[in-house]
Amino acid sequence: MRRVTHDLLLGGVFSALCGLLLNALLLTTGSTKAPLPAAKNAEPVWPPLVESPPKVASYTIEAKLDTERHRITGRETIHFINRSNTALNELWFHLYLNAFKNDKTLFLRSPFGAGRSGDKAKEYGYVDVKRLTIRGADGQDLWVNRDRHSPNDPEDETDIRVPLPSSLESGSELDLELEFEDQLPELVERTGFVGSYHFIGQWFPKLARLEPNGTFAHFSFHAQSEFYADFGDYDVSLDVPSTFRVGATGSRIRETQDKGRTQLGYRAANVHDFAWTAWDRFETRSERVAGTEVRVLYPPHHEQNAEAELASVRFALPHFNARYGPYPYPTLTLVHPPENAANSGGMEYPQLITTGGPWYSTYGGARFIDVVTTHELGHQWFYGLLASNEHTEPFLDEGFNSYAEAEALEARYGNASVFGGFGLSASSTALNRLFSAARGEDEKIAQGAADFATFRSLGALVYSRTATVLSTLARVYGRERFNHALGVYARKFRFQHPTQADFLNVMQTELDSRAVTALTRALSERATVDYLVREISNAPVSAPAGVFDGPGGREQKKPEAPHEATEYTSRVVVYRHGTLELPVDIELRFEDGTLQLRHWDGSGFTFNVDNVGPSKLASVYVDPEQRILLDDDRSNNWLTTRSNSAPRVSERALYAAQVLLGAFGP
Amino acid sequence: MTDKAENRLDRLSMPAAAGVLLWISRTVFGLLASYPLVLAIRATSMTAGPDGDAVLFQPGSLLLLELLRLGAPWLGSAAEFALLSLALFAVLELIPLSMALDLLAVPGRTLLERLARALRLFPKFFVLGVIGLLVQAALLLVASLLGSALKPAFASADERLQTIAPLALLGLGLLACAWFGAVLDIARATLVRHVAPSGSRVALAQALDCLRQQPLRVLLGSYSSMVGSALAFLTACWLLARFVPLEPSGAAVALTFAVHQLATLFAITWRVRWLGSALELSDESD
Repeated sequence: MRRVTHDLLLGGVFSALCGLLLNALLLTTGSTKAPLPAAKNAEPVWPPLVESPPKVASYTIEAKLDTERHRITGRETIHFINRSNTALNELWFHLYLNAFKNDKTLFLRSPFGAGRSGDKAKEYGYVDVKRLTIRGADGQDLWVNRDRHSPNDPEDETDIRVPLPSSLESGSELDLELEFEDQLPELVERTGFVGSYHFIGQWFPKLARLEPNGTFAHFSFHAQSEFYADFGDYDVSLDVPSTFRVGATGSRIRETQDKGRTQLGYRAANVHDFAWTAWDRFETRSERVAGTEVRVLYPPHHEQNAEAELASVRFALPHFNARYGPYPYPTLTLVHPPENAANSGGMEYPQLITTGGPWYSTYGGARFIDVVTTHELGHQWFYGLLASNEHTEPFLDEGFNSYAEAEALEARYGNASVFGGFGLSASSTALNRLFSAARGEDEKIAQGAADFATFRSLGALVYSRTATVLSTLARVYGRERFNHALGVYARKFRFQHPTQADFLNVMQTELDSRAVTALTRALSERATVDYLVREISNAPVSAPAGVFDGPGGREQKKPEAPHEATEYTSRVVVYRHGTLELPVDIELRFEDGTLQLRHWDGSGFTFNVDNVGPSKLASVYVDPEQRILLDDDRSNNWLTTRSNSAPRVSERALYAAQVLLGAFGP
Repeated sequence: MTDKAENRLDRLSMPAAAGVLLWISRTVFGLLASYPLVLAIRATSMTAGPDGDAVLFQPGSLLLLELLRLGAPWLGSAAEFALLSLALFAVLELIPLSMALDLLAVPGRTLLERLARALRLFPKFFVLGVIGLLVQAALLLVASLLGSALKPAFASADERLQTIAPLALLGLGLLACAWFGAVLDIARATLVRHVAPSGSRVALAQALDCLRQQPLRVLLGSYSSMVGSALAFLTACWLLARFVPLEPSGAAVALTFAVHQLATLFAITWRVRWLGSALELSDESD
């Protein structure tokens, strides 16, 4: 799920608007850069692709939606294979719809609205498991022996243990049969209804992921956390009123109608979740993009948004295919929720993403639709195919995907990747830096979602700072080299559940140990960096004076009379604060207009830049190419001997004042 | 020179003098109001590099956003101060406005005489301004309340109508405000034109009478001034975005300054034209 919808997006848009407002006040002249070309197909060498994962839990579900009472009646079969190396004596089920059961659940009990939407439930929702049996066994209902609540949390029923009647040996299989009933909440976050609109995620009893060591990676549904599950195949039958249009994970493989209701069959192979939506006012558009059937469901009068979303997919799908390996599924569904159901927007599921925004989102130069669509599409890789544990290492999907989003948007729009119009522009990179600069020491990036102090902190560090860390590495090591390294990681761990260690191993191979050190410190040790200069020194070079004892005896040299020096010695000391050692360039400008570029590998805490030449040093600029996006304070990266007159700012401020006086004066 | 030729010259030069007077006052007030903000921006050191303040205008706004992040505490206070200054200068602008009307209405006075007369009229202009502010605030409040009251009625309508309807009402409120602003101008013209002292209330009553008699002339006269000004500013934006290079150079700054000031002068010219019409309307309604 992305920052787009709530806190971060609002914060982002607010900050962007502040920036742009100031710029508008100053009335920036000049146009934005022309869009950069897409990534070149330079025949890079990639690891071989895995085309399907080892399946652990596959689901066959029949669900009937009552759109008046917002209830789902369901039957489910889970084909489960114990692929761990030990026998299992229990199963762990995630019943995440119970997060909305009452105000005391782990999800809802924060008095501060800790969730991404910050909303409380208005009408509550829950899932009741009616029966759980093992096919071919004695018909015993295993559900009666379940734990009644989540571990160590009597108020929460989202993480439930069920003892098995007998051990399930390593490599053995079983079919679990369940009957369940959902009561959907009024839309709180991702899941629920608003009027006749239904968005249905985390809705069926689902097994926690089985780790190779035989433990289940189970966790209660925390408001700051997302998900983690095993790959499998999903065969889902949905029964809805015939007036409703449905979008879902997977491909529609059957459709029948009977007595005013429609039965739809969906099949999704090699995925780890299934979500769907049903609404009687959806309009649809379909298009084939890069071999994938893309379908957009959108509210009436959102044709412009639908077109913008398709345009984003037309660019980003081939772009991500090239960067991170081909999208392996035949279909992709985009859902644009109605404006009053914005809480279900900006979310990712396998083969289904939700976008969002009011009908006028495409007007005025803001790229809201492009940002949210590209971000959610990127999750098809960083979440969908690289199914890391979003609960314990959320930066691996949200952070990496924020980088992928920014990279794709900047490939498409250049520096105007978030806003471009009226001669103004704002880039994703600039916004990511804005949100995360000087927050590096707040908390570790590499920690569990529930461990972050607030969701705002999680947003700044997991989304923006991770993206800024990766962007810094890309600028230091070269964009193509870094993107290739990330592409290797994406391909190598496709259909797997990679960890931070897996990522660092790839970086070690593809980049070097300094990159790994920097990444480890930035992600796990709250490391920061700030390069700064304090003074420029210039002194004329003159012949040494004083008393000198030489082979010819003692000689006394008087200081030269003051005259126009022909040579100067200049010195600047560059300091590095913080523990991140990143190589940096230092640009020297001399009074005669000459330029010099010096390089510091970032080791040590100071770096002396000395020069002897015919002209005085006029200015110094540390990191002129703005590679070190993690630099905490860029205002101390430069010094100049000239006065700080700010003519552009003065001119635009005067004009802004004149315009305001004209508009609001007498 | 014949009397006829002198009159023609007067007719030509007085509006120009009024325009220049308004431009000078607006420029001086603008400089005074904006200077604290400029100082605050310079104090952040974001403009102290070798490229000066050009870095704030780089595509992508990386360093502009850095300025906002680092300078937020000072910039917020400086912006507040600048806005307060603007409010004060908007009041003081009544004096050059009065002088401009005087220039258009009565030829032959010295600038000092006009200033003395403007200072004498200032309290009445001020009262008119306060009345105008209250009426315009009330108009906007009514538009806003109407928008809120109609919200339930639009609840079942499509999203576009839900968004546009309140905005349209607000737009109508703004147009009504502008219309009332035109009435105020006629009242000011009446005050300036009358040799015998008359009160703000009488002048306003006369202006409203004029509006009742010739609503279309008031409407078209004032709105064409607004449209002309808006066109000037939009043209400046378009010209700068299209033709002025982004590279940080002194020539680009000078060119931008010239275009911006030409737009300001053009807008003031439209305003002076309308003030001339306001004087005529006031004359006719006597």
